[in-house]
Amino acid sequence: MKILIIEDEEGLRESIEEYFTGDGNVCETASTYQTALSKINLYRYDCILLDITLPDGNGMNILKSLKEHNHPDGVLVISAKNSLDDRLDGLNLGADDYLVKPFHLSELKARVSAIIRRKTFNGSNLLLFNEITIDLLAKEVKVGKSPVKFTRKEYALLLYFLANKGKVVSKNAIAEHLWGDGIDMANNFDFIYSHIKNIRKKLMEAGSGDYIQAAYGMGYKFSEQ
Amino acid sequence: MKLITRYNRVNFFTTIIVMLITGVIYYQAISWILAYQKDKDLRDEEQEIFDNVNLNHHLPQTFETRDQHISFSPAPPGSVKRVFLDTTFLKKWDKDDLQKRRHHRGNGRYEPARALISSVTIDHQYFKILIVESTVESEDLIQLILIITLAVVLLLLLILFVTNRLILNKLWKPFYDIMKELRLFHIADNREIPQLDTKIDEFKELNLTVTDMAGRAKHDYKDLKTFTENASHELLTPIAVINSKLDSLIQTENFSERQSKLLNDLYGAVSRLNRLNQSLLLLVKIENRLMQEQQQINLRELVEEIIAQFDEIFQDKELKVKCTLSEKEIYASPYLAEVLLSNLISNAIRHNHKGGEIIITLTQDKLVIQNTGDGIALNDQKIFTRFHKSSQSEGSGLGLTISRQICENFGFSLDYQFQSPFHVFTVNFK
Repeated sequence: MKILIIEDEEGLRESIEEYFTGDGNVCETASTYQTALSKINLYRYDCILLDITLPDGNGMNILKSLKEHNHPDGVLVISAKNSLDDRLDGLNLGADDYLVKPFHLSELKARVSAIIRRKTFNGSNLLLFNEITIDLLAKEVKVGKSPVKFTRKEYALLLYFLANKGKVVSKNAIAEHLWGDGIDMANNFDFIYSHIKNIRKKLMEAGSGDYIQAAYGMGYKFSEQ
Repeated sequence: MKLITRYNRVNFFTTIIVMLITGVIYYQAISWILAYQKDKDLRDEEQEIFDNVNLNHHLPQTFETRDQHISFSPAPPGSVKRVFLDTTFLKKWDKDDLQKRRHHRGNGRYEPARALISSVTIDHQYFKILIVESTVESEDLIQLILIITLAVVLLLLLILFVTNRLILNKLWKPFYDIMKELRLFHIADNREIPQLDTKIDEFKELNLTVTDMAGRAKHDYKDLKTFTENASHELLTPIAVINSKLDSLIQTENFSERQSKLLNDLYGAVSRLNRLNQSLLLLVKIENRLMQEQQQINLRELVEEIIAQFDEIFQDKELKVKCTLSEKEIYASPYLAEVLLSNLISNAIRHNHKGGEIIITLTQDKLVIQNTGDGIALNDQKIFTRFHKSSQSEGSGLGLTISRQICENFGFSLDYQFQSPFHVFTVNFK
């Protein structure tokens, strides 16, 4: 996958690049409006991460330019403005998703994966990982040929892990992904543990390998052994 | 005390005192003039007697009249000193006035009088002359004058009172108008204090000062709000960087237990910082009424949705949740409605104890959220203020402030009560 990161904040740009690189992904970066504009005119990307507040221009114009030229690139707008207007503006202009700063890298990855999935596998709604098959339309999980019943949250969590496979996903990120910002009343995430336990149990009972490992009490990692 | 009351009181007393003093002076002056007149009459009478004696060389015949009495009596020569004096005068009843004779004993009544004692010598015989004249008519006159004066004073007071009232009310109207405007003044809204139409300099100046002050207050408030907003916005990027660096850091693996504990604490602190910052931004937005997109919301569905969201947490804390929800729709911003409900319910969870209870009741008039917790009533004045929170609370201290702001924005009210063992938060839809 080819990803363009348009972000003026160096720290953030580096982190995103580092997190996304590998696993078959190639990242390019642009820190200013002008470089971003020249890049999107020259190359095509599977997904563009677009910060709309750039020092020398409004990121929205990049989005407009993309749409004017009918470029098919997926666009995820990153913004520090959590206002509904901005969100609607972005989506109306043709952005595929909208994420507000600050965010967890795993959340960003999950969103980008979803965009790329929608863009690339036109028609195909199957997500594969070894013996695990996920039908994204029917929201069904199969291990080999046998279907596994998951609750809504367990299903969402499994998708989240698959999008971030090989990465340690922090408990905070999981909690925020599943429950949104309202999760602040719980400083221990015991209920996350029970979700994870359930997913592992269900997958392994259906005959899959044990792919989820706890990572030093900070989070979990979904990977091949 | 109203200004007009105070003014009237002062006015009333000074008028009365001045009138009393002038009345006394007036009375004295008239009395003096009348007494002088009486004395002149007496002297004239005396002169007449002298003239008569000089002409006829015998005492003149005296007639008793109703208000004059002259008498002569022999006296040792040189024993009488000429003198004016106040005395009384027996006024005899008229012969035909039987009514009065029957009602009063005696044959007349005493009236105040003025007398002149003098002397005359006729043919070496010395006589004392006593001339008494009733002053009852002058007294009557004085009385009449006094009554008229008093009546005029009273009338004057009445007129003063009425006109003062009318004029003062009219004069002070701009003042009351300004007061009304000040009472309506709210630092957060866009309403300006209007220019008053008055010709009085003082009120013009007052109006100008008030408008000026209101403008400055609003400006400063706006500055402060902008500052909060900008500061929160500027904080977002560094928080985002910290967050992403932490996410990157945990990918490096091989942490000791101590390191992972430190990292966990860092995650916790950053997400708290982030929530706090988001809350501040949200508060500014609500106060600025920037969330105006409205639509029909089914509150029952929304409550159920949020409860479903919190399901794991209810289980984790072993909370019993009882819901009695009737159908209720409101027309409001869906985002804010969700924040409101989510805040109230998460408060009910956060301040609950393990195995506690939450009761949510939705009716046409109100939404009531009751929760157990430590059985001490909260200070209902303080809990809605910014950054007020219990020492063990992990929240931002802004949840209830935001909730109340949202309610105000919706035209609802949010109240707290303690009904042992429940803390009760009520949203009145009104």
